[in-house]
Amino acid sequence: MDFFTSMDVSSSGMAAERTRMNLISSNIANANSTRTQEGGPYRRKDPVFSAVPATGGFKSVMDRDGAAGVKKVEVAQIREDQSPPRMQYDPTHPDADGQGYVALPNVNVIEEMVDMISATRAYEANVTAAQAAKSMAMKTLDLLR
Amino acid sequence: MALDGIFDTTIRLLEKNLDLRARNQNFISANLANAETPGYIPTNLSFEGELKEALKNRGGGSASVTNPRHIPLKGQGGGLDKVQGRVIETPAASIGKDGNGVELENEMGKLVENQILYNATVQIVSKQFESLKTAIKGSI
Repeated sequence: MDFFTSMDVSSSGMAAERTRMNLISSNIANANSTRTQEGGPYRRKDPVFSAVPATGGFKSVMDRDGAAGVKKVEVAQIREDQSPPRMQYDPTHPDADGQGYVALPNVNVIEEMVDMISATRAYEANVTAAQAAKSMAMKTLDLLR
Repeated sequence: MALDGIFDTTIRLLEKNLDLRARNQNFISANLANAETPGYIPTNLSFEGELKEALKNRGGGSASVTNPRHIPLKGQGGGLDKVQGRVIETPAASIGKDGNGVELENEMGKLVENQILYNATVQIVSKQFESLKTAIKGSI
């Protein structure tokens, strides 16, 4: 039965959206982190999604063409936003530079919130697709009863 | 009644329909999974027309081509089993800045439609077998 390809694709979508959600959480949590292991303020992180063929491995040998042309999603890389940091005047801050400015992360919390809604909706869409595939498979199994 | 008569075109058509709808489900899932992938153009399996055509051409007896100069009867060899469906691109009317052509509402609509039609087909298959059972038992 070919529904497993569908479930596979949906779960790849869920995993990708979850990665995105993790990065958004990380961005919001670190919206004011001025120190990182790499040095300098935290930089906004963003996943890069890429569509890859859903075939491959054992399944493609078993299926003849059921999944041909179907693409699942994969996080190709995690990009760091290279835009300049926010500069805030705060001479008492331990990380302030010579002029008394502190480099704060280039995170815009409002932007992150909007991204979060979008990620939630995309995740839900994948869940709905997986549920649909499951209910179709179960309906077919009901033929046996 | 020959066995071919019991498992007639209806069952074969329903079977094919289930197969193709299950495959279409893969494409819709893929479109939803890639709803945020830059440059992704949604695809779908189009088979309704092909299926209809195959069904229309099924009748009229079979005239075999015995000479290469014969013109084959319409529908010859274009049986139900041969319907594979075509993968078509269905980009949204306005493609976003990142080149992604997925419209979530659109895909949800297609998902629901595909699901309902699949379930309907399963139900008809079930009814077909039920009536066959009634005929075998001879009593309700």
